[in-house]
Amino acid sequence: MSKFKKSFHIKGRDFIRAGEASINVQNLLKSMDFDSRLTRRVAICGYESEMNVVMHGGDGSLSVEVDTDRLILEITDDGPGIDDIDLAMQVGYSTANDDHREMGFGAGMGLPNMKKNSDRIHIESKKDQGTVVRMIFFLPEGGKTD
Amino acid sequence: MNKSQTSTCFVRFDHDLCAGHGLCLRVCPTKAIRVKNKKAVRIVDQCIGCGECIRSCREGAIRAATEGPDVLEKDHIAIALVSPVLYAQFPGVMPKDVLLGLRHMGFQHTIDMSYFLEIFQFATEEFINRNRKSQRAPWPLISPVCPVVVRLIAFQFPNLLPNVLPVLRPVALMAREVKSRLIPEYIENGKEVVLYYLNPCPTKKDPACLTSRKRPVPTEIALGINDIYPELVKHVDQIKAAGDIPFYQTRFEYETCATANASMWGMSGGEIADMDIDRSLAVSGMEETISYLEKIEMGLFQDIEYIEFRTCREGCLGGVLTAIDKYLAKGAVQKMIKRFGLGRRLHRENILRMYEKGEFQTEKKPSKLTRLFGAHKEALSLDSMQKIEKVMDLIQGTDCTACGAPDCRTFAEDVVRGGAALKECLFLRAQTKKKV
Repeated sequence: MSKFKKSFHIKGRDFIRAGEASINVQNLLKSMDFDSRLTRRVAICGYESEMNVVMHGGDGSLSVEVDTDRLILEITDDGPGIDDIDLAMQVGYSTANDDHREMGFGAGMGLPNMKKNSDRIHIESKKDQGTVVRMIFFLPEGGKTD
Repeated sequence: MNKSQTSTCFVRFDHDLCAGHGLCLRVCPTKAIRVKNKKAVRIVDQCIGCGECIRSCREGAIRAATEGPDVLEKDHIAIALVSPVLYAQFPGVMPKDVLLGLRHMGFQHTIDMSYFLEIFQFATEEFINRNRKSQRAPWPLISPVCPVVVRLIAFQFPNLLPNVLPVLRPVALMAREVKSRLIPEYIENGKEVVLYYLNPCPTKKDPACLTSRKRPVPTEIALGINDIYPELVKHVDQIKAAGDIPFYQTRFEYETCATANASMWGMSGGEIADMDIDRSLAVSGMEETISYLEKIEMGLFQDIEYIEFRTCREGCLGGVLTAIDKYLAKGAVQKMIKRFGLGRRLHRENILRMYEKGEFQTEKKPSKLTRLFGAHKEALSLDSMQKIEKVMDLIQGTDCTACGAPDCRTFAEDVVRGGAALKECLFLRAQTKKKV
């Protein structure tokens, strides 16, 4: 069996349509028979990362790749980048501005939450050079459960 | 069933009346409808009974699979199980007078559902209070009252089944009480009993056609509120004109309705307004419900304890089988609340005793609900997913619905699953013609 890959556009600072890309990913995964706990974890990671792009990044994309043994979620954006990745991974650390906080974001839980819900997370980023977050979810044997 | 009809558990499509506009295609939340040959409507068996298609149809070709008023047979013991929405259809009339009207119509017993809604309310408060400490269920808990919401979750958001409050739904409490305490006497005496559910929407109590093919005993019939309204309104008018109505005797407390806030239950927010929960929300409307469920799935709203969902806008008052406009009904409810205030007739202690005995726990595990639909939505393999993307690349992707599917993605899925042919796509046909 071969891979399946699809990506969705994310528009920076568009809070009205924020979340659409992860909903699309979620709907795709639902038509295949993944374990519901896995799709939920993917959904949480997708949403958290999408919100990061919407808040901090410029434009970006969310892509999902399904292989026989793993599922990869990749988020890229051309935003300001992350200065200190280790610091960003800490619970409670946030660079959100007051506007974001007013909307209920900026608790500093995004990246930690993504780390918690994925099996592997890899972040590539440099200041002013955008960010790529790659999250891997290992699938049970054969890629399918139930 | 005659030949020119297709039906699901909940709705019937009349092929003779159908003009093939396909408005129903787009509103169906589970994408269960297909239009074939401009007239006939084929239904994929994914109907959750929301009634959105009925609302959308200009021709009146889609009807609820309820029975109609002529089934009320006088030689049976007819028991009306009354949704509180019925009270709101009569602005300025007390609920008890509406129930009296039903008796004049020929129902021997009238069961007021709001009594059981109150029991449910107590049980829910108790569950949430205990869950606050034990955290055995995930926040936010989702109200199980609207059966369409529960089916929508089972079908489209199975991740969220653990969030559905595991307390028996008011209708189930009501049916259990009636079957165990009211009916047995009649059945012992050889009388035939028929339960009539007076519903604001096409959804039945527990759709027999989804769970089993067996005919329930006693006979259970679903009637739309709009089915009985024309007849009932005459009786209610008579009662109103008569002025002082002599008090009539009922055996059980739930056979009449003494509180004014009963009618509030039909309104969006009516379930939680009087509930003792710190952080709760009421969401109504199909689009809003889906959007909230998507957000809960993505981990939002975990700081909320309880969400009341109704897929009909403004709640059950906006049900597709109601008789009067939802805003008029809402006005009637609000007036009633203003006049009589809120108040419960049951006592917490009694309900808590029942709660301790486990009388409100749902027997069915929520995971079983998915099996109702599981057979109809086979999972796609990686290969099929790729094929679908290929089909999507071929067709234009404008969601024109000319092929009879609700959108391009569903059409592509149908093609790969074998339910449709690629040539049914108009854009594709036009393109190939040009090339020739």
